[in-house]
Amino acid sequence: MPDAVRAVGLDVGYPTAREPVTVITGLDLVVEAGSFLSILGPSGCGKSTLLRVVADLLPPLAGTVEVLGATAAAVRSRRDVAFVFQDSTLLPWRTVRQNVCLPLQVARSRLTRAISDRSEALLDLMGLSGFGDRYPNQLSGGQRQRVAIARALMGEPKLLLMDEPFGALDEITRDRLNDELLNLWRRTGTTILFVTHSIAEAAYLGERVLVLAANPGRICLDRDLKPVKQPQNRCTREDPALVAVMAELRAALAEAS
Amino acid sequence: MTPLPPLARTVLPFAGAASLIVAWQYLLPMAGVPAYIVPTPTAVLAVLARDATLLTGHFWPTALEAGAGFLIGNLAAILLAVVFVHSRVLQAAYFPVVLFFNTIPILALSPIIILIFGLGMTPKIVIAAVICFFPTLINMIRGLDSAGPSEHELFRMLSASRWEVFWRLRLPRSLPLLFSSLRISSATAVIGAIVGEWIGSDKGLGALIIQATFNYQSDRLYAAIVLSSLLAIGIFAVVVAAEKVIVREG
Ligand SMILES: Nc1ncnc2c1ncn2[C@@H]1O[C@H](COP(=O)(O)OP(=O)(O)OP(=O)(O)O)[C@@H](O)[C@H]1O
Ligand SMILES: [Mg+2]
Repeated sequence: MPDAVRAVGLDVGYPTAREPVTVITGLDLVVEAGSFLSILGPSGCGKSTLLRVVADLLPPLAGTVEVLGATAAAVRSRRDVAFVFQDSTLLPWRTVRQNVCLPLQVARSRLTRAISDRSEALLDLMGLSGFGDRYPNQLSGGQRQRVAIARALMGEPKLLLMDEPFGALDEITRDRLNDELLNLWRRTGTTILFVTHSIAEAAYLGERVLVLAANPGRICLDRDLKPVKQPQNRCTREDPALVAVMAELRAALAEAS
Repeated sequence: MTPLPPLARTVLPFAGAASLIVAWQYLLPMAGVPAYIVPTPTAVLAVLARDATLLTGHFWPTALEAGAGFLIGNLAAILLAVVFVHSRVLQAAYFPVVLFFNTIPILALSPIIILIFGLGMTPKIVIAAVICFFPTLINMIRGLDSAGPSEHELFRMLSASRWEVFWRLRLPRSLPLLFSSLRISSATAVIGAIVGEWIGSDKGLGALIIQATFNYQSDRLYAAIVLSSLLAIGIFAVVVAAEKVIVREG
């Protein structure tokens, strides 16, 4: 199985009229297929920009990035990659169900299975059964994010990019959605790249955590958590090993900022 | 403030209007306002009943002009907005010109439009259309461009075609702004038609208003005004009904 992401000498940033703004330079990164990678870093260090490049929403400035063994563009047009944005980006004129079904309606869908079955199953999975006919403005923030995740899963992506999806939620809701996300990940085997500002969330979710530093953007810590979270990335939030990891991440983050 | 109960919300507007009409009927004459300046509501109603055939004869041409102008002007604006948001070159080249035209008071142009199109219904339709056109064009462009960057990225992640981005994102996003512009147009289209009739016509509510004014028939003048406002309300009601059907949001 090809790696989910393989970046070599990757520079990411924004082309502007004068000269390109480079946000991250010389990034070498391999993300195994099926893994769960958390990405931490100070604000403005380029986490969102990195996800954009992997999603082919932005071309790399230099270097190469290979996604699922192909170019990022090919993977995007195959719709093997889905993006969950920080704001849920639900379309307000569509009901929950219609929002979740959007990926099937747009472009020639390669999914042939009955749409309604699948959307109902996903709504169930995200704890949204009975909400299908509501409009986004009738949902709480946590419910909206769940809809956004259900919509991302509708296309059965092999790679799921999540940019601070739970940033605006209270701790309790966030913890619950974290557990739901982990269950989902175990069930589907989707690779997840998860950007967050929360050290606790990064440590609890990730099999591996990257800490990025700013100016220039680079990896300042690459911590494998598999040894402390056995089996299958399981642990409790109070696990001393996890708490130790969090202290380590906090120190790296302090240094990075 | 806590919202009023539904019954009160339905009844109060009528009660408010009724109180003003009653004041108009009894207080204005008592205050010494002569009937040739402000006739009482009952007098206006009496004219509406007595001159019904004459009034409807003048109502329909204006309704036709305002309705046709409303449809043509807004449709043209919507189509041009669609072209503009899909061609940055055309938009860059012509949108400033459009903004410039928008600063010309259209009503000041109406004599020229009458000169060009003669005395029939056409110039009135043109004036009503032009007066609807610019605000809707500007609102529609704003509306079609109002989808946020992450909404566009969502559609890009789905490899949506331009048509799909238009149909499933830009168009639904534009509808609230479009309809607010259409609601305003419902009144301005009637104004356009009436002003056109003032300048050169012997048919229509505008012509009737001028005739009634010159003949000191103020009750007939008021009846014509009531009908023009009913016409605007009618178009407005159609717009609101269409909005209810088309725009579904929560
Ligand atoms: N469209 C753009 N053009 C130019 N520079 C940009 C653009 N968008 C972002 N940047 C810059 O790129 C840098 C990285 O931005 P990015 O959004 O990736 O940060 P981030 O790590 O996601 O931050 P946060 O945690 O606040 O979301 C920032 O310094 C920002 O100013
Ligand atoms: Mg970001």
